[in-house]
Amino acid sequence: MFEAEPLLKILRQAEVEFILVGGFAGIVHGSARLTQDLDIVYRRTPENIRRLADVLKSHSPYLRGAPPGLPFLWDEETIRRGLNFTLTTDLGDLDLLGEITGGGAYEDLLPDSRPVAAFGVEFQCLTLDRLIEVKRAAGRPKDLEAISELEALRGEPLP
Amino acid sequence: METRRSPLLNATLDPDPVIEVYKKDVDRTLLRENLKLTVEERIEKLMRLQRLAEEMRQAGRRAFRDVRG
Repeated sequence: MFEAEPLLKILRQAEVEFILVGGFAGIVHGSARLTQDLDIVYRRTPENIRRLADVLKSHSPYLRGAPPGLPFLWDEETIRRGLNFTLTTDLGDLDLLGEITGGGAYEDLLPDSRPVAAFGVEFQCLTLDRLIEVKRAAGRPKDLEAISELEALRGEPLP
Repeated sequence: METRRSPLLNATLDPDPVIEVYKKDVDRTLLRENLKLTVEERIEKLMRLQRLAEEMRQAGRRAFRDVRG
């Protein structure tokens, strides 16, 4: 479980550059499927990595599924050395992705993203077509129902 | 359906026969209701559902603790 509003707010108020992807991006497009975490593709520039390290530091980030007590240090160096992080935080589960299968990095996805305004902040969200493409490219059987729903959304007229 | 190919991947938006089968079972009434909401309302709805699901999980754990060991 995660708290979407505070997570989105702290990330944007800290000027972290990211794009919403995954099930939560599906929610933004109208999906009716429950999702348990927030998936974002973050920009891997030194400044953005610093912002990401700073803003999450006070929210107890830890590797999801890892045994407690590991000497996990959340800082710029950790982010630079890694790429994709599945984290628990005190605001809920957060997946920080440097790259995604079939989609690439932030810069690759940005042309297929649009700004979305909610809760007094603005953030980038992947377009519906691109979201379908990356989910198809991931080729995971568990995504079949989600893809079918996204494709159905694509055919629905906007009210 | 529109056909589009991204230079970055092999996936396309061509109809996929497997997905077409799944699509028949999509509850479009839920989607239409969601599309009437703002983005903020859609996110708030997800958060309410998440909280409800978590409460149900905890209630289930309490109720079935004795039979599941």
